Amino acid sequence: MSIDTHAEHDTHGHDGGHHEPPEVVDGRQRMAIWLFISGDAITLSALLFTYLYLRGVNTGGHWMSMVGLPTVGPDGHSFAFYQALDGSTGLPDGHLITQAPLSARLNWIVSILTLVSGLVVWAGEKGLRATKNTRNFSAVAWVATALVVVTMALTLKQLHSIPAIFVAVNDSHTMSYTAYASTMMVIIGSGLVHLAILAFLGVGLAIRSARGAITGDKWFQARLVRLFWVWVGISGLIASAVTTTINIIH
Amino acid sequence: MTTTLQQTAAVATEGGGLARKQNFLTAMVGGIVFAWLAWYLAHHFLDASSRNYSDLVTTSLTFGWIFGFWLGIGALNGPGRWLIGADHTRADDLYYAGENQGRKRYWKYCTDHKVVGVQYIVMTAVLLGAGGILAMAIRTELIVPGNHFVNQQVYNGFVAVHGMLMILALIVAVAGPWANFVVPIMCGARDMAFPRLNALSLWTLVGAAGLLLSVLAVGSLTMGWVVLAPIADQAGVGMDFFAMAIIVFTVSTTVAGINTICTVMTMRTKGMSLARLPIFVWASMIAAALGLYAFPYFSLVEAQTLMDRTVSTSFFVANGGGTGWLQANLFWLMGHPEVYVILLPAVGALFEIASVMARKPVFSFRTAIAGMTGLAGLSILVWAHHMFTTGWAPTLGGPFMLTTELISIPTGLFFLVIIGTIWRGNIWMKLPTVWLFGFIFNFIIAGITGIYLSDIPIDNQFHGTVFVTAHFHYVFVGSVLFGAIAALAFWYPKVTGRFLDETMGRISFWLVFLGVQVTFLAMFVSGFKGMPRRYSSYSMLFEHANFVSTMGAYMIMSGMLVLLGAVVRSWNHGEPSGPNPWHANSLEWMVPTPPPLENFDVLPVITEDPYNYREELVRS
Repeated sequence: MSIDTHAEHDTHGHDGGHHEPPEVVDGRQRMAIWLFISGDAITLSALLFTYLYLRGVNTGGHWMSMVGLPTVGPDGHSFAFYQALDGSTGLPDGHLITQAPLSARLNWIVSILTLVSGLVVWAGEKGLRATKNTRNFSAVAWVATALVVVTMALTLKQLHSIPAIFVAVNDSHTMSYTAYASTMMVIIGSGLVHLAILAFLGVGLAIRSARGAITGDKWFQARLVRLFWVWVGISGLIASAVTTTINIIH
Repeated sequence: MTTTLQQTAAVATEGGGLARKQNFLTAMVGGIVFAWLAWYLAHHFLDASSRNYSDLVTTSLTFGWIFGFWLGIGALNGPGRWLIGADHTRADDLYYAGENQGRKRYWKYCTDHKVVGVQYIVMTAVLLGAGGILAMAIRTELIVPGNHFVNQQVYNGFVAVHGMLMILALIVAVAGPWANFVVPIMCGARDMAFPRLNALSLWTLVGAAGLLLSVLAVGSLTMGWVVLAPIADQAGVGMDFFAMAIIVFTVSTTVAGINTICTVMTMRTKGMSLARLPIFVWASMIAAALGLYAFPYFSLVEAQTLMDRTVSTSFFVANGGGTGWLQANLFWLMGHPEVYVILLPAVGALFEIASVMARKPVFSFRTAIAGMTGLAGLSILVWAHHMFTTGWAPTLGGPFMLTTELISIPTGLFFLVIIGTIWRGNIWMKLPTVWLFGFIFNFIIAGITGIYLSDIPIDNQFHGTVFVTAHFHYVFVGSVLFGAIAALAFWYPKVTGRFLDETMGRISFWLVFLGVQVTFLAMFVSGFKGMPRRYSSYSMLFEHANFVSTMGAYMIMSGMLVLLGAVVRSWNHGEPSGPNPWHANSLEWMVPTPPPLENFDVLPVITEDPYNYREELVRS
């Protein structure tokens, strides 16, 4: 390989390339974020594959019902007792699922809230670049973080409601979640982990902009965070759309 | 090194507080303390009558271990400082790069890619050593029928942990040391794109290895390295350690993969076009991209196994509507691409070695890249060939058989490129070349037996027999390990400034090469006769073949010990090699040995491709 070690000063500044311009670093970090989002999209597809596969196989008819299982739970309560906790009168099926705490409705609310918080960050970033006002951006970051915290609370409510509804009883009279509840739990749980990351990033954006680490001239990190934030919102919408649509179509 | 760097280096060693005292020891202490704390809290606050109690407590403990380990090694310092807006200064960066810290930096969260490369060499040796000891125990159990060297449960655990240790070892065996040590220099970069993520990937692997090595101590596994469901749901708490180890490991590989791709795509020096990029860099990047696709499945399937065990979900349990087929699909969606995540860096290194040692350009460079890319693409379409006999989707058997057999085309291109490169070359028969020839021989056997197994009628006969075991050991031991050792012999002088001992290296080669033939050809014979896998006792029908296999395995172990001796001895006492012992043209050989921090005084500008060997070089 033929190399010329003297041409560097003409191309990368006057320090031998030890210090890179922020734009170069930003380009590299953007590629990393997109790669990370790609990996996350694979995870999402695997989660949805799990949902669709178990629903399609419907092993023993236990996807979300308890038909064919013992009629009395381990603590002596009937299954109607567990269903009554949700206010349902029949076995949870494709119709009732839309009214349950694990319902599509709440999934949509969570996803839309996440996306809205991402759009808030996006608007804040645009404002920062246009007005150079870091105080405003810090406030916007706090607002977006607060939205994420509310969304996390809703997600926890979803997870908390699962034990009361979709339980199956095994032959050994031990309780376990139906396949439907299991898949929803892992999708919602994955969403919760993402929301926790967003909360961390949101607090970071707020503090960093307040301390001058993010400014009208140094806004690249805000864009990186926004890219991921919006993706989390979109991935939530994709999950909601798939899990809703598939339950309507029979 | 520029004046600027030398001036700031003096500042780098001053102050810094507790963060600068962190090392492997504090990581171990942190891991143990937080593991104990998590265990204590779980033990006292969880319902002891729950059927998931022991799994919940164990999983909490493993969470504590990883958190404490990260905290202790300093992995959380960067995110913490980012959060409060106190970014690293140049002095901090130089400190974390190990400036003026001597050998202590090898025990720290060091961001210098060359240090991370050496740390990966050590980790690979540890994993291979542990897996190798288990292999010897397995072969000793099988030396005669009805042997009772270990009981059956322990034997099953040895098989499972041996398998996963070796898989992890081989995933990092080439990509870990050399994608870190030489790829940035080959690109003309000062370091990896994200040095702190680089250190994170290494130390996360160490944390995962700690969990995996603990499996045998806390309650073994009985279902092989694929930890098939629903048996995995019934295993002891070792399964919780195992699943968490894999989840943590996938964090490490994801981070490393993103880092490798970003380094290659965004940090190449001026003139280093993709067409001039060394073939090993291409191989590392394609393998990293494939890993990025494959490992999320691995992480998810282990997370679901863990959830079935800790919170009573029913992903793989039929009573609640789950199915083991889901586990098999998710596992093999990862499992087959993973074979090529392992293989491609080794093949890329062998292309480099073939070119340098034959003093010829890589034959049909673009064909080599097409072969690697085609292999990566096809590998995501073949997963169900691992499930031909399970009864899952029989109508898809034909298409999956076809895609599997198509894989032989890009694989054949590898042979074409290697043979074309060395053909009529002025071959320099040094240690890396010897291992290269061993690879060619073994990979032919691995490939041909793979074609047998891709055919459904034959697979129906051989599935579950040690014929399959012999096939994939020809792939992993006979091919990947040979490639990894060739790469070690090739780049060892760049790391240490000394040659790997040629005599000991050749003794090691012949022991390992002959050992592989003795062990696995005999295993083909017993598999052909129908001997099942994962059995600790067997019929007298298989007696002779198993005895021969065990003798061969001892030969392999002897050879690996000789190699270890060569590596240790040559580190300080080997023959000095100078900066470019192979008279190679790629950038890593143009920098001093060992390469300085940040690699180049000034970044080079590339004007030719790295394989432009000229006649005068051939004569010299």
